[in-house]
Formats: sequence, structure tokens, C-alpha cells
Amino acid sequence: MSDKGIDRRSFLKGAAASAAAIGTHLAANSALAQTEKPSAESKDSGRPSERVIGRPGSDFMVDVIKATGIEYIASNPGSSFRSLQESIVNYGGNKKPEFLTCMHEESSVAMAHGYAKAAGKPMGMIAHGTVGLQHAAMAVYNAWCDRVPVVMFAGNFLDADKRRPGVEWYHSVQDPAALLRDFTKWDDQPVSLQHFAESVMRAYKIATTVPMGPVLITADGDLAEEAVHDEKKLRIPKLTRSIPPQGDSGAVAEAAKLLVAAEQPVIIADRACRSQEGMKRLVGLAEALNAPVVDIGGRMNFPTTHYLCRSEDRRQLIGQADVVLLLEVADPWGQFNTISDPHHEYRRFAKPDVKTIHVCLGDTLTKSNYQDMQRFMSVDLPIAGDAQATLPALAEAVKSAGGIARRVSLTDRTTKLRDDYRQMKERARTAASQGWNASPCSTARMSATLYNTIKSEKWCVAVSGVQWNRNLWPATEYFNFLGGSGGSGVGYSAPAAVGAALANRDKGIVTVSIEGDGDLMYAPGVLWTAAHHKIPLLMVVHNNRAYHQEVMHLQKMAALHNRRMDTAAIGTTIEKPNIDFAKLAQSLGVHGEGPITDPAAIAPALTRALAAVKRGEPAVVDVVSQGR
Amino acid sequence: MKIEIVLSRFFSILVFGASALLAQEKPPAGSAERGYEAYMKYQCYTCHGTVGHGADRGTGPKLAPNPSPYAAFALQVRTPRLDMPAYRKPFLSDQELADIYAYLSSIKPSPPAKDIPLLDF
Repeated sequence: MSDKGIDRRSFLKGAAASAAAIGTHLAANSALAQTEKPSAESKDSGRPSERVIGRPGSDFMVDVIKATGIEYIASNPGSSFRSLQESIVNYGGNKKPEFLTCMHEESSVAMAHGYAKAAGKPMGMIAHGTVGLQHAAMAVYNAWCDRVPVVMFAGNFLDADKRRPGVEWYHSVQDPAALLRDFTKWDDQPVSLQHFAESVMRAYKIATTVPMGPVLITADGDLAEEAVHDEKKLRIPKLTRSIPPQGDSGAVAEAAKLLVAAEQPVIIADRACRSQEGMKRLVGLAEALNAPVVDIGGRMNFPTTHYLCRSEDRRQLIGQADVVLLLEVADPWGQFNTISDPHHEYRRFAKPDVKTIHVCLGDTLTKSNYQDMQRFMSVDLPIAGDAQATLPALAEAVKSAGGIARRVSLTDRTTKLRDDYRQMKERARTAASQGWNASPCSTARMSATLYNTIKSEKWCVAVSGVQWNRNLWPATEYFNFLGGSGGSGVGYSAPAAVGAALANRDKGIVTVSIEGDGDLMYAPGVLWTAAHHKIPLLMVVHNNRAYHQEVMHLQKMAALHNRRMDTAAIGTTIEKPNIDFAKLAQSLGVHGEGPITDPAAIAPALTRALAAVKRGEPAVVDVVSQGR
Repeated sequence: MKIEIVLSRFFSILVFGASALLAQEKPPAGSAERGYEAYMKYQCYTCHGTVGHGADRGTGPKLAPNPSPYAAFALQVRTPRLDMPAYRKPFLSDQELADIYAYLSSIKPSPPAKDIPLLDF
């Protein structure tokens, strides 16, 4: 986001006074320069280069940002917020917040996305209000869909009278947030510093109120660069956080009755838990009901080691269920129905009379344009409430809803449930053993080897392009799995993993990711950011040398159109030349291993990579892998 | 007994009987080497793995070792159930199909999970 070749913005302001010093080029070619008179301020201050602003507005903006507790600001530098950047570094001491140098605004937002899920609090980011936010847009959409808070700032020069000609006009906008308004929770464009202070606090509060989401505050360039006037009148409001709402007690009691009376209850959790405490609460409810839990994985909701964790048996369980409790499920309809592709045949795999309960705040945060609300489903008992906040009351209601006889009968399910769990795990292990010695390496072997390398550490899978981790790995901690991107916008994984690794760095948690090759190539510069800021991340590249998900779409279209079936590789493969991710990583200052085609070579490479990570460095292990 | 259950049982018996008949049919002659080439050319491996081992998240079921009887295999390839695209004769010949089947039949089993220490979760 450089604007090299453009003079400083003070140039025009003092053009007449300093024409001799800066040459005659502008005076000869610019009508503005010939007619504009020096401002009173310029006269008073003499030569423009001698003018000094001891307390710019951006210093106060830094005070405000510090008051939120934001520790990092991810950004690709841009002239529209140069004053704020300078204040962060020189006035703020580049600590809390620290400026993180990013190589793409999409990376900045995705880093903040991954960070928020690991840290449990937002990161900031700054971008140009025009070209920066345009780059950032896809990552903002992911954060919106994933209900993750990101506090964004946009630089902009609203006052047209002060803009330099050329690039600064291209980089100015009447309404910076318009581009993102369909998928942000709130935005504002403050016109005074007091306005800025109040709006930042409001934005932070809104972003972190469930359902969470990204927010945007415009930091006007002139407001930032000009001096603070009458500072005694400025106040930074105290930051307060909203308490998540619990579902209505009557509805909770009704839900408990339905669940206790059910013969085949099932719990489906998606973005239900925010902490270890949330998981504990869900375990408490599931055990009180002795009901299997399907963890869709938007968050880490349930320990995979628990006999009630039956995520891989979702279809079978839903098919048998008479009551299903959904907890913050993004796509409820899709849990009971599906539509074949490409023939659009409707299939329902749930019983027609299954009773449904949904504890969710989804309806409180929805907009019309982007369709992340998913297909409408009539829920029998919709409870507008936060799942984690509602779980204790629901568990208590369940315990008191059934008599002793019923509680005994619920306990009688245990033997079968434990047996079903064992069978599910055995099926996963058997499936993982298939193609064990294949080259390219099987994704199961890649996953299992990674676990074996880090199993003695506190570990976090920030992102993963394969499901084996959830199916096989014993995960009991909230920080173990961070879930997916939200909107499935490609390019999320690498920066999100770096952001999560930053949050985990000081907690002694080893962060790993299984990264798609196509995803990484969207903005691989984030590896340099990881190296530069010494962010330890063990990234395994699931290098299947293709956009594999797209292959079958083309095969389906060819079949539908009754055409040749051997051309799906065109436009979907990433070969000729093959990308060498180890060399790519090394060129960006990151420890690189691979490309690995022999599955037996994965383990030693991972061991070396983990040693680098333990030294505080990022590391990339390029594993040439099966498609899926 | 509900009519759906009756129909479901009748269908199960029908499928079982058909499978038994299909299993008796001898597969046509094919070349495992040519079959591998065709398997890769038509990108069967993207969903089913290069050694027919199946894929993560159930995107492609396991095909080998011990593929299903040839007639059932051919039926699925030509007129597939679920989301698999149809590979019709003009674009995948009978001989290519037989070759692919020969390749799948030639694939040796992987070690059992119990013998793989890394799968001792």
C-alpha cells in the first residue's frame, strides 16, 4: 500500500509559500498552485517544514485503543492512516497495541480472526478505507459468518479540500464501511476525537456481545494528523461488556421435559461453547440426559474422548432421533435434510415427527443480502438465548424434570452408548489404516503422525483441511480445536493459524495447522509475518497439488452435459510446475521441510520442525498428499 | 406393521438377492497396468485415493482391496447412486472399466489398524 512518488500532504497546503524551495514544477502545471493562497496557519507557522504538532489526534486515538486492551494491530501500512501508525509506534511505544506487519489486508483480518478464537478477545486491524478494505472484504465475510469479533480501523481523508491530487483521491471514500456493511455488526465514521473515543468503545462492546462479529471504525486522516484541541474536554469512556443472555426459563423447562421424555435424544453443537467452562456445561447436560452429542466443530464443544461424543455418527443418530437439541447450529435444516448434487433431489434422513429445540441467537444477527442464514427450518421450540449461558439452567431443569425411575432408565442407556462409541472409534481407526503406506501420503497418516509428534505438548489445531484430527485425536481442552473459517472463503487458513499461534505463544501451547496448498497460495506472505514477529507455528502443507474440491464439480458437469470425463484437471490442478513449499517458506525466513513423498519421512521432518517451533520460530512441512 | 417397513424389508431382500447374483458373475478381462493409467486419467483418485482406499469425510468410499462384484461396480460407475458423476460408455469404454476393475482388484491390503502404532489412540 505504498504511495511512493507522491509528495507529503503538507506540500499543497504550503505550496505558495514554499514554491521556491520545492521547485517550480507544480506551480507551472497546477492551476490550484497558482491561485491558492497560503493559509493563516501557514503564515503563522512560517516554513511548513518548521511546523510541529506535539499532540496529534492520532495520539489520542492510541490512548483510546489502549483503553480497550487490544494488544495487536495487524496491518499493511497505508498513507491514509500514517499518523495513527506513527502514533502507535512512537507515542504508544509499539506495545499494546503492537503493530504487526502484514502483506495483505485479507491476511490482517484472518490473523485477527484466528487470534480472537484462540485468545478469546479481539485483535485490531487497520487498512486503507478503499483499497485496503477491498482486499480485506473476503476475510471480513469469513469472520462475520463465523461470528468472530474483529475490531477494524480504516484510514480515510473525508475532507476533499485537503486531499492531494492523484492517489489520495483514489484512496478516499464517502462511506468506507458501505462495502462491508452487509457483513459487519456495526460501523461509524467519527468526526471528532470525542466521537472517536465513544464509537471505539461502542464498537468493541458490540463486537464482543454475542453473537459476535466484526466492526469497523473510520479513523479520519485529518482528525488523526491535526492537533488535539481542548484535550481537557476529551473523555475515554470505560469499556464494559454485555452479559450473554440466558434463554427464557419457561422455555428451558419445556425443553427439559421434551429431552427427558425422549427415547433417542441427540444434541448437536456448533458454535455453542466459548471456553472450557462451556464444554464442562455441555458435558454436564449430556451426562444428565445420557444423550449422544454431535459436535459439528464450529467451536470445540465436547471432548472427543467422552463416550457420548458421536460426531461421526451424525446421520445415523439423526435418523433415529425423536428429539434433537441444537445449540448455536448455523445450518439446522442441513442437519435433517440434504439435496443431491447436481440433480437437486431432496432427501430427508430424520424422522418426520422428530421434535426440535434450538438454543440460538442467530435471528438476532442477520441481514438480507448475503445468505449465511441458511435454509429456514421450523423449529418446534426455538429459544432465543446464548447456548453457553443457557446450559446450566437446562441441565438443572433436566435433572429435576424426570423422576427417579426415569433417571434410572436414562442410566440404562450407558452400556450401549459406550459400545457404540467404541465401534465408532474402531471404524475411524480402520478407515485411517487404509492406504497407510501409499504415496502420495494418505491424509490419515499425515494427521496421525502429526499427533504423535506433538502429543506430549499442550496443542492447538488452529485450522485443518482434514477431518481425521477430530475423528482420531484425543481432545479434551477448549483450545485444542478452533473450528473453521465460517464462510469457506479460501485464503483463511494460513493467516488464521498465524493469528492463533500468536495468541497461543505466551500460553505455552504449540499451534499446528494442516494447510491446503491452494489456500496457502492466496497470500503466502503471512509466513514472512510469522517469521518477522517470531510467531511459532507448525504448519503442515496438505499438498495435494490441486483444488481437489472443485474436481468433482467439473466431473459432475461433464456427466450432466454428457461430455468427456477426462478434462477435469484443467483449471483445478496445481502442477507443472509443482510448488516447493519448503523453499517458499525458507525464502520467507521460515524453517522449511519437504516436499515429502515417502510417508515414512513425515515423522522425522515433523520432529525437526517442532524443534524449530520450540525455539520460537514458524516451520512449514510440505507433505505431498492424497486428494482428501 | 407400517407399509414403509414392509417395503423396506422387501427392498433389502431384493438387494441382497441381486448382490448375490452379481457376485457370481465373472469380471471381464482387464489389465491392472492400463487400469491404473485410466484410474488416474479419469481422476477417480481424487475422491477414492490412488490405491482405492477412500477419502476423508466420506467424500469417496473405499474401493479396494476386495472391490465389490464387477456387475455392481459397473452399475455404480455407469448409473451411480448418490453424488458420484456418471461415467458413460462414450467417455469410458467397457475395456477401460474392466482395466480399472483389474487395477482395483490388484491392490494389496493395508496393514490392519491394530498393527499400526500411530493409530493406537
